[in-house]
Amino acid sequence: MKKYIQTTVDVVDYSSLPLVQKYALADLLYVAYGLLIVMLVLVSYFAGMFDMLPHDPQQINMDLLMSPPGTDGHLLGTDFMGRDILSRLIVGIQAYFLPGMLAISIALAGGVILGVPAGYWGGRIATCITYISNLVDSFPRMVLILLVIAAFKPDIYYIMIVMGITGVPAVATAISNKIYFLSQKNFIEAARALGLRRRVIIFKHILWYNCRALLIIQATLGMGEAILLETSLSYLGFGVQEPVPSWGNMVQSGANYFLQGNFWPSTAPALAILFTILGFNLLGDGLNNILEDRRGK
Amino acid sequence: MKNRPYRVILITLLRELFLTMLLLVGVSVVVFAILYAAPGDPFSALLEGQLATDEVREQIRIAMGAQQSWYAQYFSWLFSVLSGNFGTSVRTGLPVSGELFTVSINTLKLTVGSMLITLLVAVPIALYTAMRDHRVVLGWPLTMFGYLISSLPLFWFGYIIIYISIHGFHFFPLASFGGESWLHTLVPVLVLGLGSGTISEVIRQLREEMTRVLGEDYVRTARAKGASVWKHAFKEGVLLPVTEIIAAKIPFILGGAVIVEQIFNWPGMGRMAWQAALDRDFPVIMGIVLIAASFVRMGSLLQRMVFIAVNPHRQRE
Amino acid sequence: MNSSPLLRIENLRTFFYSQRKHAFVRAVDGVTLDVGRSETVGLVGESGSGKSITAMSVMGLLRGGPGVIGGRIEFESAHGRQNLLEKLQAFVEVHEQNGRVMSVSKDEKGWRKASERIMRNYRGKEISMIFQNPRTSLNPYMTVGGQIAESIRLHTANRSESEARERALYWLERVKIDSPKLRYKTYPAVMSGGMCQRAMIAMALSAEPSMLIADEPTTGLDATIQSKIVDLLEELKSETHISTLLISHDISVISRLSDRVAIMYGGAVVEFGPARQVLDPHEEARHPYTAALIDSVPSQQKIRDKSNLQAIEGDVLDTINVPAGCRFYDRCNRVKDGIRERCATQHPPLQEISSGHHMRCWLFAKG
Repeated sequence: MKKYIQTTVDVVDYSSLPLVQKYALADLLYVAYGLLIVMLVLVSYFAGMFDMLPHDPQQINMDLLMSPPGTDGHLLGTDFMGRDILSRLIVGIQAYFLPGMLAISIALAGGVILGVPAGYWGGRIATCITYISNLVDSFPRMVLILLVIAAFKPDIYYIMIVMGITGVPAVATAISNKIYFLSQKNFIEAARALGLRRRVIIFKHILWYNCRALLIIQATLGMGEAILLETSLSYLGFGVQEPVPSWGNMVQSGANYFLQGNFWPSTAPALAILFTILGFNLLGDGLNNILEDRRGK
Repeated sequence: MKNRPYRVILITLLRELFLTMLLLVGVSVVVFAILYAAPGDPFSALLEGQLATDEVREQIRIAMGAQQSWYAQYFSWLFSVLSGNFGTSVRTGLPVSGELFTVSINTLKLTVGSMLITLLVAVPIALYTAMRDHRVVLGWPLTMFGYLISSLPLFWFGYIIIYISIHGFHFFPLASFGGESWLHTLVPVLVLGLGSGTISEVIRQLREEMTRVLGEDYVRTARAKGASVWKHAFKEGVLLPVTEIIAAKIPFILGGAVIVEQIFNWPGMGRMAWQAALDRDFPVIMGIVLIAASFVRMGSLLQRMVFIAVNPHRQRE
Repeated sequence: MNSSPLLRIENLRTFFYSQRKHAFVRAVDGVTLDVGRSETVGLVGESGSGKSITAMSVMGLLRGGPGVIGGRIEFESAHGRQNLLEKLQAFVEVHEQNGRVMSVSKDEKGWRKASERIMRNYRGKEISMIFQNPRTSLNPYMTVGGQIAESIRLHTANRSESEARERALYWLERVKIDSPKLRYKTYPAVMSGGMCQRAMIAMALSAEPSMLIADEPTTGLDATIQSKIVDLLEELKSETHISTLLISHDISVISRLSDRVAIMYGGAVVEFGPARQVLDPHEEARHPYTAALIDSVPSQQKIRDKSNLQAIEGDVLDTINVPAGCRFYDRCNRVKDGIRERCATQHPPLQEISSGHHMRCWLFAKG
């Protein structure tokens, strides 16, 4: 039984409705959670930068190996060398921050450079750009990274450059689709008819007014991917190297003790990864639904 | 005029084949460029194993009309690859091709199996939720579950499964490959199929597509004439999106296979690539990248073929 | 003719719910009309007046809630008369307050099941439907002939493939598609809109239904194609004597094909009667809305006289904020002082003012 109730006799204007009624509750919750995670990550990053940590992340304590949360002032317990997990988690974020930014910037810049001409001019240029996108898409990201590692060295910056480049096609496709959509609605023709310069149309009207939401969404999703990728590479032994902490190598080093029944040293960073990436993914999708009005009631 | 649809199919197929070839050539150029830029001189090592005598090498040089310029190196490498010669492994000293063949079959088993698992789980859920006008009942927990799964580090998920199977079922899934029991195959396939995060995406994409197609005018026409909605919505609502998703997810699944093969000791391309990356074993890693890329290209070629076969007149860029 | 009509719609109500505004959209609220055997009834109204929703309600094709919430749709077939909304009351509960629907509870799943069970015997077999936008209404993944043959095999005695193919070719010829054998094998994507609509008509008629619902069959086609489609419909009408409910906003199409006409405004039928009476510009007893509608259509006479076309004042009715009184009150130019009070506050009933001529207006109200 489904019940429909008319709450008002005189219907109010749509624009005056509060936010909650305007958008799906789920999307608002997604974005709220995502923003919370982003805040946490930022706070942790700066806390790590300025050494505001509960313990020294490198201090080895052989008396307290793999202790559960709450032991002796260690809020999240200690790892297999008795190091404080919480401090290592906070410092571990630094492993992602700049490399992740690098990957995202490459993906976004490349996506704009390829996506705008493809959508704006179409034709032969679009065909060429589709070819480039397909070419990049032909490489499984992980395998390409292994190739680069073999050719150069297992460095997080090399890895993130590859990640950025392999992220370009998705952004380019999203942008050129958006521009195609705009031109379908004669948006671009109208702008041209108004005598606007091409530069103004592309940068102000297309990119700034119509693609910024899309770029923010891609950036958020990209950050989540960067963390997951580093985790996988840590497992393969090519990520950030011990003793510098990263969430990936924390899970990896803790996992050695996992099968013996010592869950905590790897579960703690794994949960950190889980909730953080969940945050980025939910933020991305929630923003997508709200800003791009996908769910549209 | 009578044969027109078939001619259209033929022409489009040839075009797709040509495009695939072109992309594979592009892939080889990229691989070559990366190795060319690498420090050291991998290609002298590479040619060392392939061309046994100095005489032959000299002949190649003469044939290329120059010293070992970059394009001479590229073409000599490309031609030997095309004739099935991927060089010899730096580590083992054996020809790469034979081993490459067996490991790629193993990886193919793993990826196809996990793809099937993903589809078996995702397709019914997607279609079920698409049929309901309001997807609140089943949709909410499922969506959350999908998000959680795709946020989980794959290898950690694998460890959980191993732990459960050891302590819950007294079964040790890590035994090296060789088909000791079908479970040794099934567990890795399950981990890759369920844990790689594709399920939630497949569900979402398929549900979106199906919901859109169910709202199409022609499905309304089908209902109005009393015909089966499924029959009419199947091609655009199920067949096309599923093949599209498979094609698009192959690189992703192959990446996941690297991890899963590592966890379960599965002797596939991923493990071999990992070993090669450790050893800087160029011939091996190059061969693997080329084969992985051709898998990806084959997948999208297949998708294009289904697309053309389903409707010869509808072209999409 | 009126004693036992083929289709009789009585006081149909179809609502939707706006999640944004937390209010009902009264898409159809009070449609009453009937279609006799081998008769064509035209249903006219502005866009948004609920014409198409009426047709979709009859076919049970609506998606989205709450949908049909009240009324009767009687249809007479070889198996006797049946109310297509037979069990609806068991699934719907409507609460009204001061004549306004305030809440609707509907077991949509249950009703959909019950409705599908009833409609299974009617869709395609008894009632066929053609739509606007013929190009998107044909399945792009099936050949044109395949779609017609499917309809034939589903609903007629021609069950075998070759028989169905032959019948389909016959119908393709009948709707004047040139080289039917060739067209049989083509996909809709390579056919023009007019051609697609012919194929749609062939598909609808090939099942040999007793009724055809044509929902804006000429909308979205070029003007020359439009008139050809109307010619075709006229021809098929005189040959097959099929009962037709013709929905259109185009009065010229309606006047060429209809025996009787129903005028819709704001989800309700405001006038229903013989085409000649309703559409005649010199007829005295006319609903103010009908009069305004006809004055807004260019005719040769008006063009010759160079007289101004009369646009209807005001905006199309907001079907969420339906006024309490006559729905046309705000735009009506014939409100007189004597009835102003009633026009503003009371919704007029549909009354028979002369034999077969129904009107929903206080101007002509009896008693």
